[in-house]
Amino acid sequence: MSAIVSVPGSGKSHWWQSRTFRRFARHRLAMIGLIMITVLTLACVIGPYLLPFDELYIDLRARFAPPLTGYHIFGTDPLGRDLAARLFMAGRISLLVGFFAMLLSTIIGTVIGVCAGYYGGRIGAALMRFVDAFLSFPSIFLLLALAAFIKPSPFMITVIIAVTSWMEIARIVEAEVRSLRERDFVLAARMLGLSNSWIMFRELLPNAIGPIIVAATLTVARAILLEAYVSFLGYGIQPPLPSWGNMLNGAQQYLDRAPWLAIVPGVAITLAVTSFNFIGDGLRDALDARSDLN
Amino acid sequence: MSDETKHAILNPTRRRALTMMALAGASGLIMPGLLGRDRAFAATPPAKPTGQMIVGFSQEPTVFNPHLLHIEVDEGIHFSVFDPLFAIDPDGKFIPALAVEVPSVENGGISADGLSWKVKLRDDVKWHDGTPFTAEDVKFTLELMVDPDFRSWRKTGHELVRELTVVSPTEITWKMDKPFAPYPSILASTFIVPKHVLGAEKDKNTAPFNNAPIGTGPFKWVERVAGDHITLEANADYFGDGPYLERIIYKYIPDLTVLYTQFKTGDIDVAGLQWITPDHYEEAKVLEGKTVIVVPGSTVESVTFNMERPQFKDLAVRQALYHALDKATIIEALYYGLPTPTESYMPQQSFYANPDLPKHEYDPEKAKKVLDDAGWVPGEDGIRAKDGIKLSFSNSTTAGNHIREQVQQFMQQSFKDIGVEMTISNLPPAVMWGEYWTSSQFDSVVVGLDFLTGADPDTSDYFKSTSIVAKGGSGQNTWQYVNPEVDKLLTEGGQIFVPEERKKIYLKIQEIMRTDLPFLPIFQYATVRGYKKGAEGIAYNVNVRIDSWNPGSWYWSS
Amino acid sequence: MLRYLLGRLWQSLILLVLVSMIGFAVLNLAPGGPLSQYALTPGMTQETLDRIAEQMGLNRPLPIQYLDWLWHLLQGDWGRSYRDSQPVLGIITGHLFATLLLMGSSTVLSIAVGTWVGIKGATKRYSIFDYSATVGAMVALSIPTFWFGLVAIYVFSLELKWLPAGNMYTIGNGSISDYAIHLIMPTVVLALVNVAVWSRYMRTATLDVINQDFVRTAKAKGLSERRVLMKHVIGNALLPMITLAGLQLPTILGGALVTETVFTWPGMGRLFLDSLGYNDYPVVMGLLMFSAILVLFGSLIADLLVAFVDPRIRLS
Repeated sequence: MSAIVSVPGSGKSHWWQSRTFRRFARHRLAMIGLIMITVLTLACVIGPYLLPFDELYIDLRARFAPPLTGYHIFGTDPLGRDLAARLFMAGRISLLVGFFAMLLSTIIGTVIGVCAGYYGGRIGAALMRFVDAFLSFPSIFLLLALAAFIKPSPFMITVIIAVTSWMEIARIVEAEVRSLRERDFVLAARMLGLSNSWIMFRELLPNAIGPIIVAATLTVARAILLEAYVSFLGYGIQPPLPSWGNMLNGAQQYLDRAPWLAIVPGVAITLAVTSFNFIGDGLRDALDARSDLN
Repeated sequence: MSDETKHAILNPTRRRALTMMALAGASGLIMPGLLGRDRAFAATPPAKPTGQMIVGFSQEPTVFNPHLLHIEVDEGIHFSVFDPLFAIDPDGKFIPALAVEVPSVENGGISADGLSWKVKLRDDVKWHDGTPFTAEDVKFTLELMVDPDFRSWRKTGHELVRELTVVSPTEITWKMDKPFAPYPSILASTFIVPKHVLGAEKDKNTAPFNNAPIGTGPFKWVERVAGDHITLEANADYFGDGPYLERIIYKYIPDLTVLYTQFKTGDIDVAGLQWITPDHYEEAKVLEGKTVIVVPGSTVESVTFNMERPQFKDLAVRQALYHALDKATIIEALYYGLPTPTESYMPQQSFYANPDLPKHEYDPEKAKKVLDDAGWVPGEDGIRAKDGIKLSFSNSTTAGNHIREQVQQFMQQSFKDIGVEMTISNLPPAVMWGEYWTSSQFDSVVVGLDFLTGADPDTSDYFKSTSIVAKGGSGQNTWQYVNPEVDKLLTEGGQIFVPEERKKIYLKIQEIMRTDLPFLPIFQYATVRGYKKGAEGIAYNVNVRIDSWNPGSWYWSS
Repeated sequence: MLRYLLGRLWQSLILLVLVSMIGFAVLNLAPGGPLSQYALTPGMTQETLDRIAEQMGLNRPLPIQYLDWLWHLLQGDWGRSYRDSQPVLGIITGHLFATLLLMGSSTVLSIAVGTWVGIKGATKRYSIFDYSATVGAMVALSIPTFWFGLVAIYVFSLELKWLPAGNMYTIGNGSISDYAIHLIMPTVVLALVNVAVWSRYMRTATLDVINQDFVRTAKAKGLSERRVLMKHVIGNALLPMITLAGLQLPTILGGALVTETVFTWPGMGRLFLDSLGYNDYPVVMGLLMFSAILVLFGSLIADLLVAFVDPRIRLS
């Protein structure tokens, strides 16, 4: 519940940014997160080229090979495919889904939040009721209901996750914009005859960038988790396309004979999500001017 | 698979030939209770109901009125609580239940033209609430099936019934609009429900009866704990043999791994529907104190094509894909060698099965040659094409069916090797089996289908050109298969009541299907069933969809 | 006060209508339909399915179906399940106990552990304990619940064979100790995330109080730190805790859904997945509404409690 200090005005003060940056760079957890996610991303990007296996190549004679069998560093799956190759390819999908879901939900959340905050009154109240309606669903219920009836492709899953994840950002932005709405610079802009959308997105929004970035970082973490949940329950990304979630989907069945099928992708998810949570925490502290006092 | 038990119970071709005659010829007067008894052991059932058995199901039975729309697991309860007029045994033989004898041409129950029916009923049957069972109940049931206000799950056959007449409390007669050979099989799965309970209900779809059924069967309804289990208790007044158990409990265990674990630990006595997963078979068959056997089912797994897609109109493509399908590996590696490869949609145990169909050859080279010869040449991307049509299609099935998804991915690779592109596009069940399937919106599908009604070989619903929903028909010919010869044969077969004569027709149909290949038969399912040693009377029946078809005959040895 | 309450209720009502519209649209606009699962039944015909769809009123225009459903709901009739034609409300309340048991035990556990960790972390700020608690909490928030469940099953059921892998009780047993032993793993798994959340909040709340003058005064007066903490910290931190409990409801409910799946726990989450799988729309809708009501009610109660505990907060 850290209070967000925002600076009214143009929002282009560079000293502010550099101090924030220095605070961020000093944040040990954030740095660890940054390193972890960089390594993980690099592994997913480069990894598949380094491994002597195709992530889709089926070799039924090599099913259920435990880790470190030959060149199968993480072993093989029930179809004899190399788990490491699948893990890295899956990482590309899961990370991309996480990233784009974040992007989309940030856009939705920001637009709704700015509009609600700026216009206030009836429109604002109506929009915020809408936000509350979405918030009062446990999102996994809504997510599953959506995913169960839509043909699951990475694109659709991204959209569905975004559709169930934008409310947090909308609330943050709305609160921020509402608090600034009556400030002098906004009134001035109005008097200058600037259009509403100009005021909303050029004058007001930049002040909320900090909290938006924090929320967006945490949304990536959340989106990766949600993809995993939905795919684990069988409603997400469909094989043969691997994702970290759907790699876990069949794993429960083989828990006793091939536990690595469950352990390897689970660790990858945890690492990725932890990284983003660490970074998000670091960003929050860095953007919070109060933290200098501590 | 040369499992002795399996053959003892389920290799009945000759006997079935005789029993199908029961319809036209001599009818057996065998009590239902005598049949299921384990033949290998000389154990005798207890004098009065003793002990209880817990049957585990991986789906939850929820529909207890047998005539409402239901799934197979619900029939587990129906067989325990209700009786049909006559039932079907593992040999495909009809055995009388509420009827005194199975109606046939020979005994005068069915007229020679198949149009007039007469059924004599037992006079010693009571409903679970003590009311006597009479011909009125039969009349009520058959009328209920076609009641426009009732959500009857099946009208087929019953629609043809006219002039239902109660001659006496123990005799009922009716006329048929036209001869309909599958009707006996339909009657064998039509459970009689009580008129005095259900008849007075205004809305029979939501009557209390549907959640606390009253039947004539060996077990009486006690209670259902939703999401958990159903308890039934012995019906002391049962007219047939048995029951020998005080209680039978159907326990819902939503996860197959847990179902197996609980079977292993003895928490459940019988591993019921969806059974033991193939990958546990090796471990299960050596379990101490358990009987574990492989039992064939009547479901056939196949790759079905949408015959209206231009790629699949060419027979050469279908043949080539069949050659490229490595059935042996799929069965051995992915299904642990349990199912039996098949060339037909007809279960191999059936009297009507054609054993002389050409055997499938896995031969990628031949597949390539067939395609080359037919003019499908590889393009720059390695995918074959002909006349601007790319040999590329999607394949769908229910998302979440793990083994089937593995089969798809394996097929994808095999087809790629011969220059055919198959993409996988799986859908959630609600979407998959909705219009996407029924109105033929797919390219190809991997599906397990049970083509028969009970043991009857009629497959008009699947193969007739009038059964294509996408073309305005009614039926399940979702592959849009059209062959006038098959149409003619099916019409003929549906009107013949003498099994030997019917057989010729169905052998021919199977031959044509094998040649035309509107679907590639992969295998006939076989599943791993298990029960605790000491449980007697459990007999597997390929003609019904559920294991507990004869719970009245189950008992614990001493 | 009354006005506030009425206002909140009115708002909640509008929210519920919105929720129901979204849910209904999602379910019914999708292809397929509740009867598609029966398409593969041997002997089934499209004609039969069409007829039953008509009898069930499924081919009416969607807005009509929705209004019909809403009208019945307003009269307290939640509709009947397509599967067993039982009243939906009865089905849901039938599964409520299992879910509440799981949510309850896990909430108690997470509050107990979270409070302890939070207070200890705050009083020993920047110690190794505090630091590892912070990191631990963040990692805990990052672990997929179901995966943690799978690992727990692997370790404690399959390898060590200490605990049962699933279910709420052994058939034919059902004693309290039997329930308890089945409850351990799902409770801990579900509590994991919440312990993290609670401990973070407790730490912040405690820090806020510790730095306030009256606590310093109390300490200066020679009262033991322990007593001061017990009296003031817990007293003051209670408010955010109550609010938090209200806010946490959707998360716990969602977590319960996943946990119930992994441990085949016969609760509402399991029911939801089953109903989705069987296209039992009335039950799915019922559960969506029920959980929304639960959540709204939870946050309302939390707000009222806060107002009750702390008269300084005026509800307006």
